[in-house]
Amino acid sequence: MKAAGTSRGRDIRALAIALAVLVAAPTLLAPDVARAAEELKIALVAPLSGRWARQGQLKKMGAEMAIAEIEAQGGIKALGGGKIVLREADAGDSVEKAVSAAQRALSREKISAGIGSWLSSFTLGVTEVAERLQVPWFTLSYADSITERGFKYTFQSSPVSSLQAEQALDLILDLAKRNNQQIRKAALVGDNTAAIVFFFKPLREKLLKAKGIEIVVDEVWTPPLADATAIIQKLRSTRPDIVFYGATNFPDSIQVLQKVKEFGLRTPIMGVGAWLLTPEYVKTVGKELLDNVMSVTAAHPLKGQEDFVKRFTQRTGEPFMTQDPLMTYAHVWIIKEAAELAKSTDPKAIRDAVTKLDLRSGPAASALTPGRIRYDERGRRVGATPIIVQWQGGEPFTVVPAELATRKPVWDGGK
Amino acid sequence: MSIGLALIFGVMRVVNFAQGDFMMLGMYVTYFLAVGYGVDPLLGALVTIPPFFVLGLVVHRALLVRVTGGGDPQRLMDAQLILTLGLSLIITNATTMILTPMPRGIRAAYATQAFAVGPILLNQARSYAFLMALLLAGAVYAFLTRTDLGKALRAAADEPEAAGYQGIDVRAMHGLAFGVGIALVAAAGGLLATYHPIEPTVGVNFIVLMFVAVVLGGLGSIPGAFAGGLLIGLVQSLTLLVLPFQLQNVGVFIAFLLVLYLRPQGLFGQRLRAV
Repeated sequence: MKAAGTSRGRDIRALAIALAVLVAAPTLLAPDVARAAEELKIALVAPLSGRWARQGQLKKMGAEMAIAEIEAQGGIKALGGGKIVLREADAGDSVEKAVSAAQRALSREKISAGIGSWLSSFTLGVTEVAERLQVPWFTLSYADSITERGFKYTFQSSPVSSLQAEQALDLILDLAKRNNQQIRKAALVGDNTAAIVFFFKPLREKLLKAKGIEIVVDEVWTPPLADATAIIQKLRSTRPDIVFYGATNFPDSIQVLQKVKEFGLRTPIMGVGAWLLTPEYVKTVGKELLDNVMSVTAAHPLKGQEDFVKRFTQRTGEPFMTQDPLMTYAHVWIIKEAAELAKSTDPKAIRDAVTKLDLRSGPAASALTPGRIRYDERGRRVGATPIIVQWQGGEPFTVVPAELATRKPVWDGGK
Repeated sequence: MSIGLALIFGVMRVVNFAQGDFMMLGMYVTYFLAVGYGVDPLLGALVTIPPFFVLGLVVHRALLVRVTGGGDPQRLMDAQLILTLGLSLIITNATTMILTPMPRGIRAAYATQAFAVGPILLNQARSYAFLMALLLAGAVYAFLTRTDLGKALRAAADEPEAAGYQGIDVRAMHGLAFGVGIALVAAAGGLLATYHPIEPTVGVNFIVLMFVAVVLGGLGSIPGAFAGGLLIGLVQSLTLLVLPFQLQNVGVFIAFLLVLYLRPQGLFGQRLRAV
């Protein structure tokens, strides 16, 4: 009897300890929880491994710069000086990996907003996850279809591909005309990633025909490219007046550019996207080969941003700044402004605040043309216009629009 | 490239998935020699041979010995696949971690210049690489047919048991084959680096073609692997005359299937004995 009593007593004591621990646990963890409540977590789902990893790194640099600046200014004031925390997730080199990375990042903890995933094909998948989990998502991807699905949580800051194609063609024709050149034949050369597909589609189907331009080469491949020789041979035999170029995978692009030089081709090249503007190009193929190559992009340092760019290059050791860090920098600032307005880290509240934002000054607005942050009902940034950037002396400069350009465009049409 | 793989398969019966990654490491070594010490990549490619031979020996001693020779062949095969695939993942990711995924390239003048032979333009870098590959292939062939060590290696490949009775250390021969195989693929990587950008994942793009070349030429056959490699390049280029660009590799695989259908042992392979 006595033995049983002791045993029960022990049980009760054990139970009491267990209860005490359970009761105490939240209190012990409380300081962390309280601090976490002030933190605003942003998920950055971008390729950090695989063939597009470099772009993911550049995006991260932009985000970190914005976070450091916000912190230096005292954090998010509406949240009592709350800090922004970046949660990176590797989108890898396939849509499946990107989607599962987003899923993991968004379901593991409370994420207030997300950024990514660079390649349009990835973004299409990742934004579906964000929509389902109701987390506002910011992207620099170009494909039209990203904001054609009626999603409420997707915000596309770049001009869409079809618009870029239209405007880029006008700008090119204008540029050629001013240099007394006529464009009669065009070539489309690129891979089948979403942004390129959507850029080429309107050109192929109507835009070029409408201007009386004949398509003499139309070659599309799935990266990686086995050998560029055949493409260049076609270009060499057909002699187009302009090449619209979309080789987003770096090794592919290097192969093409090296062959261009080898075959002595001097047709103006108009790339589609910021992948053609990374510092690695100078290191790998040299500045002579790049000179006068142009690319349409959604963002690039403009006249008046010299100090800002200098801060970036000093911080990161990069030789210059391009779309990827610039856009991500702007996105972090937009999320910050939305959180100030929403006075909350709740993703839904932030999404609603984003739809109300109309920024015309401050770091986010001044980073992007035309200096305004406002998203329409589809989630597209109002007034977003493409920028044409040209390699000159080993550095890419904004050449169009003229009023924001840092250099004058050079038309090298000599054949 | 393929010869190294063929050698490893021929002698050891090991399908080495990490072959592409050793090629990538060879590219990096050549790159750092070129950038850091101004060593011409064509020479740099040769310089990679001794250290990678030693690396191959070490990898064989430390890892592959455990999954080759003796035991249930089916289970060994599984273990080998998992081992080499795992090795491949570790090498790729470690390289990404240490050297960052940033693509690099050697800026050799001959990468963007061509020899003009009449109306035909021959890329200089590729021409040099091809000549060097011919030389290396010739050297390997001479080694295998003319030297005692090479003959012992072939004996160990053809009939391991009988070779053992003749006093040939089969395990040492396996190590030798792996070392030579790795050294060859590293040198091939060095040659490739003259005109192809270098990044940690570059091996993946080549490993499938390497296997196709090896199987096409006849598994384990050295001249076969060389001929297989040439055939792939030829088919790849000629495919474009008839098929659109996107289907460039389709031609290769059609040729591959045709060869397998008409001559299952590969172009240079010997018919396997029925058991």
